[in-house]
Amino acid sequence: MSKEVFSQISPSEFFYRNRDLAGFSNPTRSLYTSVREFVENALDACDQKKMLPDIHLSIKAVDPEKADPKHYILTVKDNGPGIDPEHIPLAFGTVLYGSKFGLKQARGMFGLGATMAILYGQITTNKPVTVKSCSDGKTIDEFVMLLDIQKNKPVIQKHTTKEGSKTGLAVSIVLEGDYSKAGSKIRDYVYQTSLITPYASITFEDPSGEKFHYARIVKDMPRPPTVIKPHPHGIDVETIRRMITDTHYQIPTIDNKMIDKVKKELSLKKNLSPKEILERAQKRWSDISRPVRTVVSVMSFLNIDFEGLKKIRIDDIDIANKTITYWDFGESTTHAVELDPESPYYKQLASTVQGDTLLTFLTKRFQRVGPTTAEKFCEFAKFKPDKRIGSMTNEELVKLADGLQKFEEFLAPDPSCLAPLGEEPLSKGIMKFFNPEFAAVWQRNASAYSGFPFVVEMGIAYGGDIPPNGLKVYRFANRIPLLYDEGSDVVLKIVNETEWSRYKIKGDPPLVIVSHICSTRIPYKTVGKENVADRPELERELKNALQYLARKLAVHMSRQGAADMAKKRANLYSKYVPLIAQFATELAGKKKEPNYNQLIRMGSEIEEQV
Amino acid sequence: MKNKSNAKTAETRKKRLLSLLEQQGINIYDHLDKGKFPQFVIPSRSVSNIVYDKKIRQYILGSASAVRSSRNMSQLRSYTQLAWLAFFVNRLVREGKSSTLRDIYYSSQAFSIDFEDQPESDNIIVDLEAVLTSPREEFHIFPEERSSVFGDLTIEYTVPGYEGKRMNLSDHPDGYLIGPSLSSAELVDTSAELVIAIEKGGLFTRFVEEKVHKKFKAIIVDTAGQAPRSTRNLLRRLNSEMGLPVVILADGDVYGEHIAMVIKSGSANAAHLRELTVPDAKWLGVWATDIEKYKLPTIPMTESDIKRIYDLQKDPRYQEGNWKKQLEVFLKLKRKAELEAFSKYGLTNITDKYLPAKLEESKSF
Repeated sequence: MSKEVFSQISPSEFFYRNRDLAGFSNPTRSLYTSVREFVENALDACDQKKMLPDIHLSIKAVDPEKADPKHYILTVKDNGPGIDPEHIPLAFGTVLYGSKFGLKQARGMFGLGATMAILYGQITTNKPVTVKSCSDGKTIDEFVMLLDIQKNKPVIQKHTTKEGSKTGLAVSIVLEGDYSKAGSKIRDYVYQTSLITPYASITFEDPSGEKFHYARIVKDMPRPPTVIKPHPHGIDVETIRRMITDTHYQIPTIDNKMIDKVKKELSLKKNLSPKEILERAQKRWSDISRPVRTVVSVMSFLNIDFEGLKKIRIDDIDIANKTITYWDFGESTTHAVELDPESPYYKQLASTVQGDTLLTFLTKRFQRVGPTTAEKFCEFAKFKPDKRIGSMTNEELVKLADGLQKFEEFLAPDPSCLAPLGEEPLSKGIMKFFNPEFAAVWQRNASAYSGFPFVVEMGIAYGGDIPPNGLKVYRFANRIPLLYDEGSDVVLKIVNETEWSRYKIKGDPPLVIVSHICSTRIPYKTVGKENVADRPELERELKNALQYLARKLAVHMSRQGAADMAKKRANLYSKYVPLIAQFATELAGKKKEPNYNQLIRMGSEIEEQV
Repeated sequence: MKNKSNAKTAETRKKRLLSLLEQQGINIYDHLDKGKFPQFVIPSRSVSNIVYDKKIRQYILGSASAVRSSRNMSQLRSYTQLAWLAFFVNRLVREGKSSTLRDIYYSSQAFSIDFEDQPESDNIIVDLEAVLTSPREEFHIFPEERSSVFGDLTIEYTVPGYEGKRMNLSDHPDGYLIGPSLSSAELVDTSAELVIAIEKGGLFTRFVEEKVHKKFKAIIVDTAGQAPRSTRNLLRRLNSEMGLPVVILADGDVYGEHIAMVIKSGSANAAHLRELTVPDAKWLGVWATDIEKYKLPTIPMTESDIKRIYDLQKDPRYQEGNWKKQLEVFLKLKRKAELEAFSKYGLTNITDKYLPAKLEESKSF
């Protein structure tokens, strides 16, 4: 019998083995994905700090004479806040280190992509990543480093500092890519990103040295997205378990640092007796932090001062048997002290150990749940409102998660965390990019699917500089363009289901549709994040937006059509009536042509009869 | 010897046509002058307006008609096309010039009349036929396809440069093309007693070689498949002007049967026209019953052959007699035989055995 060997792998190694999942399947796709990840990180960083982004992207061949696929140097530079030099090695040298774990609208997720790009570059070229950052406007830190894949940690090869004057970040990697194949997608990506980010200035220098520059069109930045609490409908058992673990306060470790904290919060200058400390604490109870309250409570039951506290270790607080057990280092024995349930400190300890009541947990940790809704929910899910969440069994947690999903009286998710682009910037971007004869934009009200809020904004443009090559759809999600897997996308589905002839659109119209979906979680169909799934709620919003815009376009088309028709009539009658006169004159055997001018005028003026 | 009965018919028809064209011209001219929109009234050629007239034994148009008005912007272009065609036909007829369907399509371009394709100009020609109730041959417009005639028939040309010149159609063994000059010629004299219309060029040549024209005192006409209108018109004139009976030989299938029927009573496509039918013409064969009777080699029918039988069974002309019976037998056999099938029994079998037998048989129907 063979013996299987199980071994743990690091996150870096996991992604190294599964790089296809993250969009690094071949040199073409990898080059494109790397560009995306760095540009999106740069834009996210600027958005977060409300700084108007100025992004420079360049791709240079290491050896221009070689044939694709070959090594390229990819550099992305921004004018954002930069990164504190302390965090740089971890941020760029480990997988799964990021600041994007909260629930909010962001271009990237988890900050995985950038490290993946670095990892991919390293595997294909064995070259380090170079990160230059200035976060204080004074010093530029430059790191040259590799990633230790097995240990998932950075290996710094060089770290230098020099003087700087502006904040910003520049990341440069060497990777194997195929620009001849990826080029058109990358240019599309930069073009479309500029369209949906009209407040950014983006420059792209391609391997041949050609520069694509997209100037800033609007100066106002949309409000940055904020982090919010989850909505009960968007929750599963695992998420609840995590939320409970960090609600369920631990008994703090009582060390010198902790004692200093207690002294500071209670403003204790000299050593007081336990009784005096308690009196001081009573006065300031509402101002002091939870760990300090817990330490004070312990002191009250054990009746000891700080010196005493330093000599013991709390082992257990057993609420059921109302005892507190501790280890005395000096005596090397275990002591048990009975807790008096009447004492005001008993409640403090009990709630620390057992966590909040379900009622408090629901109102404090979820968005849009008030005490009334929470009580109704408890009744619905058959829980006691004062049930302590720290004491819930596995079965109860499953029942809780299930109930949260099914309870229908929760208010819709709070969309205030979303940051759509806004009608005006979107409209300005469309006017600048397409110079159309007609354009309209609309931002729908927020809606939600499965507890995740979303907003749809859409624009339509017709004629002008748009070539008459048929309908073109630009798809965006959380301000990033979606370029691949167009066919299976929900937006395309809606557009294709539309009967355009009803809106007076025929043939291959010069028509552009810009669709932008913002959500704390875009329901992507695949890990590649290129196409959005057809959730019914989302489909309905997209359809409403499109119909509204199409109706506006139809009004424009009718107006335009009436004017065109009058012109066409005039042209037709001027062309044909003289011909008819010429033929009739010869047929009738006359010499002089009839006076037909009156008829041309009449023909041009008749209303169209259907 | 039979003499033509209707003197100067070609000349009369020409005068009638020119007068009709002039009337149309004056009508349009007056409308324009008075600031009114001129229009054409065109008998409707839609299926619902095509009915079979038992009395004159052909398809005719009903009373429905459509107005093509220059007032309607969407009709202005086709109105102008029709006016141009009347104008162009007027020139053709006055100057004694001929044209073809294709030539009309190209000629239009010189007058800024834009036909999208030849079918569009062909349609306008049919419109004018309907407006003036005259076939396009009278407009001096001919199709490209031509069939031939051979036999003792003397004609007299009316085309410019040949006026009065006579010609006998048995002088050239390949036969004579039934083209514009022949169609407009007067029929003067013949010794023939019969007209045999045959579907195929190959057998036409064989018939000439076998001297069928002498043996049966016949004029032989090659219809080259479905007979063109000029050929049908010639057959009619041979029948009505020269008093000759017309018999038809076609392939032993549903299409052959219908070739005979169209010569006899016209096609739905030409329901707006008269003078193209020979109501007394007789279909000699090959009948479905002949296939069994003469033990002819056959090939199976295709799906479309069978579908065609079902279509024709709805036609009022196929509701009785031999026409109905033969369709039923074809449907039963689901096989067909070509005229060439007789070669199995010798190259001259068809002229030596089949033709005399059928001619004898035809006296009884």
